[in-house]
Amino acid sequence: MSVPVLELQGLTKSYAKLTALSDVNLSIRQGEIFALLGPNGAGKTTLIGAICGLVKKTSGRILLFGKDLDEDPVGPRYEVGLVPQEINFDPFFTVAESLHIQLGYYGRPRDEARVDEVLTALNLQGKKDSLTRALSGGMKRRLLIAKALVHRPRLVFLDEPTAGVDVELRRDLWSYVRKLASEGTTIVLTTHYLEEAEELADRVGVINEGRLLLVEDKASVMRRFGERRLIVTFEQPPPALPEPAQRFNATLSEDRRTLTYVEREGTPPSGELLRELYAQGLPISDVETRRSRLEDVLIEILRGRPQKAA
Amino acid sequence: MNTLGMKTLFAKEVRRFMRVPGQTVLSPLISTTLYFIVFGYSISSRVKEVGGVPYLSFIVPGLIFLGIANNAFLNSSSSLFITKIQGTLVDLLVAPLGPGELLAGFIGGAMVRGLVVGVLTWAVAALFTGFNLQHAGVTAFFLLLSSYVFSLLGLLAAMWAEKFEQINFFPTFVMMPLTFLGGVFYSVRELPSPWSQISLFNPMVYMVEGLRYGMLGQSSFSPALGGGILLGLALVATGLALVALRAGYKLKS
Ligand SMILES: Nc1ncnc2c1ncn2[C@@H]1O[C@H](COP(=O)(O)OP(=O)(O)OP(=O)(O)O)[C@@H](O)[C@H]1O
Ligand SMILES: [Mg+2]
Repeated sequence: MSVPVLELQGLTKSYAKLTALSDVNLSIRQGEIFALLGPNGAGKTTLIGAICGLVKKTSGRILLFGKDLDEDPVGPRYEVGLVPQEINFDPFFTVAESLHIQLGYYGRPRDEARVDEVLTALNLQGKKDSLTRALSGGMKRRLLIAKALVHRPRLVFLDEPTAGVDVELRRDLWSYVRKLASEGTTIVLTTHYLEEAEELADRVGVINEGRLLLVEDKASVMRRFGERRLIVTFEQPPPALPEPAQRFNATLSEDRRTLTYVEREGTPPSGELLRELYAQGLPISDVETRRSRLEDVLIEILRGRPQKAA
Repeated sequence: MNTLGMKTLFAKEVRRFMRVPGQTVLSPLISTTLYFIVFGYSISSRVKEVGGVPYLSFIVPGLIFLGIANNAFLNSSSSLFITKIQGTLVDLLVAPLGPGELLAGFIGGAMVRGLVVGVLTWAVAALFTGFNLQHAGVTAFFLLLSSYVFSLLGLLAAMWAEKFEQINFFPTFVMMPLTFLGGVFYSVRELPSPWSQISLFNPMVYMVEGLRYGMLGQSSFSPALGGGILLGLALVATGLALVALRAGYKLKS
């Protein structure tokens, strides 16, 4: 297997009164989109900061592209980009100038074509010559994203990249992130829009109080923790719980009008139950299924639902 | 070594102060010119010469030194401090810029501002006194090294400071008094006792005297003294700044 793009070994960060990261172990593969999820104060920004040189770790090892940051704190950073959570901007420079400066910091000469390309990708081409302070909040965040990408990093951290960004751009950004990943860029993102993680991530990590609780393929998390609810409404309440429903462990509401079946990993599919109910000729007036979202899954994990061994 | 990164930061620093030249270059130039006119004319009516040099010429090196020290300090301190406050420090810390590159970029920009103000002050003064340059090498040494040292001190002050008033602490309470009492407007040799002896502990005295030697060809102290002090300060401050930058002192959490 190739060297992981990023590897954390026992990463710990303690502040005077609080441990923001405790013994985090994580390995990020080339080209994947990894979503780091967790409530406010969980340690997401601290984790990214420790890797990007903004936070001094207390202990542990950080390897970027296989190189230990303690041995070479600068070299690997040529290939890293960060969209910080907090908006920052130098009010004296124009949008294009900010990007040229950013290129320079990364040891790259001015590159008009590249700057135009990034501005177009982020829908900022019309603001190229505006001073950064004259941008709207969402535009400032787009500029932040442009700055993080302009030097073509191999590893990009997006710390809540779409906070305050409008729906249209959010969609555009998602497809851009997917395109980058398909070209081999590795993406680590944090977000409170679970829809975003659901849409983009190949793998998710859940962090709470500085501990990484779970790292797993998104599809597998959804399968393990996710559920599908089948809700059947009857025209006439049946006298008792119909036989197939008993077998499936479904429940009948108090007024006996609705039947609910929760399908999880390992239980029979809801379609089967539905077929049996129809076969019995019960007077069904409505059928609805609800699939749980990553949001529900996250809440379950944070509540500490007992986890099966993977 | 990220040469291009360093050059980019340097160029950005220069552009930063050149964007508001009225504030960063013209205003210090006006205030030193005012010193020159007010002090120069009011005192030179009574004091014709100091150690054989016309009084107006005597105060020029000190005013140039003042312009360099203040502006070099102000530039690096305000630039780094603003970077910290507005959050753009993140860009510098994430980028592949090591302590050497950061230092060179910030200090280079501040030195340019200090030297621009210093040289323009000199040019203005030359209109009144004529152009004096006895030892070009010594003069260049003092101009460059004093701009370097005070840029560094500004950088250190901004790293340490958490509030805006803290970065003004050093210029207001240390640099200003020491420079004014440092023989800009008079020769400390001619002060009455004990001020004359006390002044010997003021490092600025030797820096001003060194520059005076370079420009006017004579001074109360050997320029080697001032040169030695500046070199010593430069070494200590460079070491401190590199260590602090490497450790991310008050820059990283
Ligand atoms: N400089 C600091 N000094 C002390 N504690 C800090 C510092 N920075 C962060 N913390 C604490 O570390 C913990 C983790 O913060 P962090 O910013 O990493 O959370 P987060 O997961 O990014 O949260 P959010 O979703 O709100 O952005 C919090 O309890 C925070 O208060
Ligand atoms: Mg955060």
